[in-house]
Amino acid sequence: MDLYLGIDVGSVSTNLILIDHQGELYLSPLYLRTQGQPIAVLKQGLALLEERLSATDRICGAGTTGSGRSLAGALIGADIVKNEITAHSVAALSQVPQVRTVLEIGGQDSKIIILKSGIVVDFAMNTVCAAGTGSFLDQQANRLNLSIEDFGDIALQSTNPVRIAGRCTVFAESDMIHKQQMGHTLPDIVAGLCEALVRNYLNNIGKGMEIKSPVVFQGGVAANAGICSAFRRALETDIIVPQHFDVMGAYGAAILARDYTIEHGCETQFRGFGVTLLEFQNRSFICKGCPNACEIIEIKQGKEVLARWGDRCGRWTVAESA
Amino acid sequence: MNVMWDIIPIGIKINFFYTNKGLDDMVKIGIPRALFYYYYYPLWREFFQNVGMEVILSPETNKEILDNGIKATLSEACLPVKVFFGHVIALADQVDYLFVPRITKVEPKAYICPKFMGLPDMLRARLHNLPHLIDTVVDTSSDGNSTQCWTDCLQEVGSMWTNNKHLVDSSIVAALQEQNRFKQHLLDGILLPDAIEGTVIPEVAAASHPQQTIQIGVLGHPYNLYDPYISMNLFKKLYSLGASVVTPESLAENDIAKKAGMLPKRIFWTLGKRMIGSALNFLENKQLDGLIYLTSFGCGPESLVEELVVRWTKKQDRIPLMMLTIDEHTGEAGIITRLEAFTEMIKRRHKA
Repeated sequence: MDLYLGIDVGSVSTNLILIDHQGELYLSPLYLRTQGQPIAVLKQGLALLEERLSATDRICGAGTTGSGRSLAGALIGADIVKNEITAHSVAALSQVPQVRTVLEIGGQDSKIIILKSGIVVDFAMNTVCAAGTGSFLDQQANRLNLSIEDFGDIALQSTNPVRIAGRCTVFAESDMIHKQQMGHTLPDIVAGLCEALVRNYLNNIGKGMEIKSPVVFQGGVAANAGICSAFRRALETDIIVPQHFDVMGAYGAAILARDYTIEHGCETQFRGFGVTLLEFQNRSFICKGCPNACEIIEIKQGKEVLARWGDRCGRWTVAESA
Repeated sequence: MNVMWDIIPIGIKINFFYTNKGLDDMVKIGIPRALFYYYYYPLWREFFQNVGMEVILSPETNKEILDNGIKATLSEACLPVKVFFGHVIALADQVDYLFVPRITKVEPKAYICPKFMGLPDMLRARLHNLPHLIDTVVDTSSDGNSTQCWTDCLQEVGSMWTNNKHLVDSSIVAALQEQNRFKQHLLDGILLPDAIEGTVIPEVAAASHPQQTIQIGVLGHPYNLYDPYISMNLFKKLYSLGASVVTPESLAENDIAKKAGMLPKRIFWTLGKRMIGSALNFLENKQLDGLIYLTSFGCGPESLVEELVVRWTKKQDRIPLMMLTIDEHTGEAGIITRLEAFTEMIKRRHKA
């Protein structure tokens, strides 16, 4: 079968997905932890995919997105390397064509995308602070001795969520300890935490945005039923969580790769699953050309330089940086 | 550097010693390539060269300059002020004097940012062994204008130098002419870095910026926009993403003032007024597909002006606006993702 590969290399997870011509999912998507080793995880993911493919399956296009998109694109030979906003909105549109708002909360970042008749008209992304993201929930679940998987269901048992300061994780934590000492129940505290995260998200990233339904909620945090219900209450509208909410970026990249190769009628640049066997050397060095002292990252396969980036002036750059 | 300079009282007429030196040994005056350089460098350069001094400009901002600036300033200072400090440090042991005028008011009823007014004081408080600072006050009278306040300032600076009144007067005339040339080139659509040195032929510059698929209005203070290190090569990135750029510098002062005057309450910061006035002009420009507003984190006036720009853009609801806030921790990857997403969004709008 003719397939299209989408890869989302994020700071927390690396996701791989295969779709067919119609955009239907082929096999189940892969959700792997990046753990600071994008190259190793990428190779592992490709190897897992290859095992599952039959002899007649053929990759006709490949796309990458996420913060590691340039790296992944260079390694696998992607046809298209796209930013996360475009990938996520394309994916949401394919699932809910009328979508007006996309809420996306991942491990380290979050975004909001506003669409009008299928076109992105506004978007915002969080800045350096990870206060309103998945890692914030992870930390707090850890502190309460809960597994993150149970977190959402416990929140749903709450009848009276307590109010917790959500602007900053440091304040939230001390506030939470205080509420525990006062004798509030665990479900009320957990539900309060969910509401704090949602409030924080809407006040920062969603500031000044006109949030209209249908609202699609995607990214790893959408697994959390407590957050979904907090969004539902705060926005007073239904929240749609797509089936593959946690791999929507990769899904969007696959769709973009499909559209690109079909539109341009070109052969894919994908280097094949053989890349999992190749040794890549990545190194970084500091350029001494001027006082800027840029940190250059270089990816080599044997003696061939696949990609280089990180320089301000462009003297080292090999391969397009998208 | 001779420590003696530091104890010369400011504002007292002194005859400097350059007449004792040979021609190859001209007195060197340093101008930091930061903040007001982007507004007045042609005026200053022409004046100092005409009165017979060698103008030394600091190099383009680089990591070393930024790092030095950050180390020398308090954390409350905004990024442009930190960069300014870095440039002063880069010049300090190369020049005899540093030109850091205390610019308070260049037009009636409006002020320059208070941090910028205090630049000479901040420098003296934080840096030791500075060359002698020439910190003449630039302050427009209630019925004056930019030409008048700069003429007064340069007269004062010139009289410290020489008793030759004729030389000072003719140097001021030449300087004002050069400043007008600079402004005219900006209006002709030449980008500031080309116009400021005065070396570019307008026709060549116009041809080198071919029309791209989309056009974006970029708002921001010139010291942020045109410092490629601060803006992280914003213009170059936009060109490579297929966008041509329009900046406030290509707008006539009158048009900016007229639009800024539409606001229910007068803005009393000269530089902030420029931003909102430019934004309102851009909103009426049907050629523009989007607006990008580059601001520096911790800018007092901008915290209010920015909000006004956002509200007026929303109210008009025609073109998208993206805010980019930068400080010394800003990563380039975040900027690239945002610019890519923004231009992509506009291109997809066109296709639809």
